[in-house]
Parts: sequence; structure tokens; C-alpha cells
Amino acid sequence: MSIEAGRNRGQQLRRIVRINEEIKRVIAAAFTINLMAMNAIFLAKRAGTAALGFGVLSNELRRFAIDLQQQMSMLSEMTYSSVNTVTALLKQARLNRVMEVTLNASAGSGKVLLEKILHGRLETTLAERQEQSDGVNRRLTQMITDTVQLVELGSVLARSAKIEAAYGGGLSVSLTQVSTDFEQSISEIQRSLEKLTKHHLEESAA
Amino acid sequence: MKTTRTIYEDGGHKWIAIVRDPSRPGYMIDTNEYLIVRDDAAILCDPGGAEIFPAVFSALSAEFDPSRIQALFSSHQDPDIISSLSMWLEFNPQIKCYVSWLWASFVPHFGGNGETFVPIPDAGMDILVGGMRLQAVPAHYLHSSGNLHLYDPKAKILFCGDVGAALLPAGEDGLFVENFDRHIRHAEMFHRRWMGSDKAKRDWCERVSRLDIDMLCPQHGAIYQGDDVKRFIDWFAQIEVGILKT
Repeated sequence: MSIEAGRNRGQQLRRIVRINEEIKRVIAAAFTINLMAMNAIFLAKRAGTAALGFGVLSNELRRFAIDLQQQMSMLSEMTYSSVNTVTALLKQARLNRVMEVTLNASAGSGKVLLEKILHGRLETTLAERQEQSDGVNRRLTQMITDTVQLVELGSVLARSAKIEAAYGGGLSVSLTQVSTDFEQSISEIQRSLEKLTKHHLEESAA
Repeated sequence: MKTTRTIYEDGGHKWIAIVRDPSRPGYMIDTNEYLIVRDDAAILCDPGGAEIFPAVFSALSAEFDPSRIQALFSSHQDPDIISSLSMWLEFNPQIKCYVSWLWASFVPHFGGNGETFVPIPDAGMDILVGGMRLQAVPAHYLHSSGNLHLYDPKAKILFCGDVGAALLPAGEDGLFVENFDRHIRHAEMFHRRWMGSDKAKRDWCERVSRLDIDMLCPQHGAIYQGDDVKRFIDWFAQIEVGILKT
């Protein structure tokens, strides 16, 4: 692995840090949605039969928030695996750099020994690590795609809640306000997921 | 690249000093490594930091097949002592690393696994390499709290880690001490500042005075031989240690 490749690994680590920051934002937003949905359920109960549909949607939004939190925790664990793999690749890069310098400085039996070891390393260790890294990237891509779909569902639920809020009788104004808050929180999550996807694509391309 | 100097030879029994790297950057302290060879087996004392591995390996491999190094002796845990561990393990994953029990769970941060480390008890122990018996001699708190030196009773050489170390200026960096009084000025600050315990220092002086020593080989600076061995021990016994440079 060249020094340039080692630098790329450093950039990969920085991108993983950014992905984690977005994951934390999404988890915080999902937590807020969960609390808002609980309040919305109580509000819908107070509104009575007029807000039955809103109550059902609030329940669904609460379930969505819990699913999203779980999904993001799994994503977080996966990025941790990514950190492990990239760190191992960085260590290998450092070792290879020192070995290459050693090879250039050596002669005789030492040089022969080094050539053999370096050859073996490139053939096996690095290929294995690269395969691990690719595997983690593939799983991460799949999980981000699933999360985007889940959040799309959340967005539909929030829009439907806004429509239902209009039929909320005397509490219609309050319910509309709650459904607007739902929409805003989900929009925040979508923006975070867009950034997360961008960082992940850059990381995969490195 | 470093150079090698055979400082002791008796048949297949050798001490090879790996010293003085002219291409070493000035911000990095110079180190001495010592390879103790007995026929086909060898132990390397304080193999050095990861950054100087190329210089040590290339010099050493010109004299000895590095894959036949059976063990590393790590006087303590510092990075200039043992941070090259993972690189040596590349050549021989079976290599053993002898280190104070105090550091046996810290040094694995530089590499190795559960099979790599042989913890040395505080009282020291015998180390067998290729049929030769070496003695790990306690030197705790000089400067590390878990510190050991390595004595070869046949060659009458004591590898003394940071004790005896000197920060030599260019032009006064011969392999052996030639003028003790002039040399010791370059060792004084190092000992006053790095060595932390007067009691540990007196214990060490008493302990090594009982050994039959022809050469004292420090990890930095020049080797003391002949009468300079006793001169150094006497000098060390009387200086005040554990003080900040003023």
C-alpha cells in the first residue's frame, strides 16, 4: 500500500466521523418524534372521535421513531466495524511503509527475507483486509438504503397526520401544529440522511 | 544506516553493537541496540523504535540472519525501546519478548499476542537463549518503575539500559568512553533528571558491584569498559538524582 493510499485511509476515517455525527443527529430527532408522538396520542384522545385517525397515525409515528432509533444504532455499530477495518488498513500501511524503507536500505539475506515477507503481505493480508472493508461498505450501503425508505414512510405518515389534523374538531389548531412539527423533524432527518449518504459514497469510492 | 561493531567474540558467542545512524533526524534520540549471539540463536536487547527499524534491521542483517532472532529483551516500556515489536514479529511470529511483568500488558499495544510476552518478575530471572544463560538484573525505578538489565556472566557484559546513558555531541560520539571525566559531563543531566529514586540507585550500585563486569553497555551514548566500569558505578552512587534541571 502506498503512502497515498495511507492518506486516503485517513480521509476515510474522517468521513466515518462525519457519518457518525449525522447518525447522532438522526437518533436525537427520532427521540424527539417519539416524545411528540406520545403527546399527540394524548391530545388525540382528548379530541375524541374526531381525532381517531390522527391518534392512529401518531401511534404509527411513534413506532416509526422506535424503528428508526434501532436502525440508526445498527448503523452506528456498522460504522464502528468500518473504523476497525480502516484502522487495521492504516496500521498495515504504516508497517508497509517502514518495510519498504527497510527493503531499500538492506542487502544480502536480509533483503531476500524482506522481499519474501512483503510479497506475502501484499498477496494475503492486504487483500483480506480490503475484502473485509468492501463487505462492511456493502452492508452499510444496504442499511442506508433501508433507512431512507423507512424515513420516506415516516414522511408519508406525517403528511397524513396533517390532513387528519384538519378534522380534529376543537383541537384542530393544536393537532395541525403537532403534525407540522412532525414534518419538520422528518425533514431534518432526511437532510441528515442525504449528508450521511454523500459521506458514505465518498468513503466507498476512496 | 547504522553500523555494527562486534564488541565481544569467543567462538560462536558474540555481542554485536548496532550504533550511530548518521541519517537519523536530529529530533530523535540516538539509540544503541545489542545483539547477543550464541551460534545460531540470538537475543536482541532494546530493539528500538518503529521509525529506526530500517536502520537497525539493515545493519543487523548484514551480520546475522534476522529470522534466527529468538527473543527480544525490553529493559522497559518506552517507545524508543520496543515500539518496533510488531515489525520483528513479521520475521518471526514465534519471537519472545522478555519484559518486566509490570509492562507485560502495556507493551502489547505495540504488537504481539498472548504467546509473545515472557513477564520478568521483580527479582529478575535467568533467560536461556541457544544454550547460553543470561541474567535479567533488577534496575527498577532507573528510570522506569519496571526496569531490568541483562547480564552475560560469560562475556562479563552488562546491558544497562538507560543507566550510563549519555547525550553525546557530534565529534564526541565514539563507541567507547575514552576520557571518563569529559564523557560523564554528557551523562550528568540525563541521570539527574531521568533517574527518579536515590534508594533504587544505591541498590543498583550495590547489586552490580558484586558482578564481574568488563563492559557496561547503555542504550544511549558510549560503552564503559575496564576501569571506567567501576568509575561509573562510583560516580552514579554519589550523584543526586530525581531533581529538575535548573
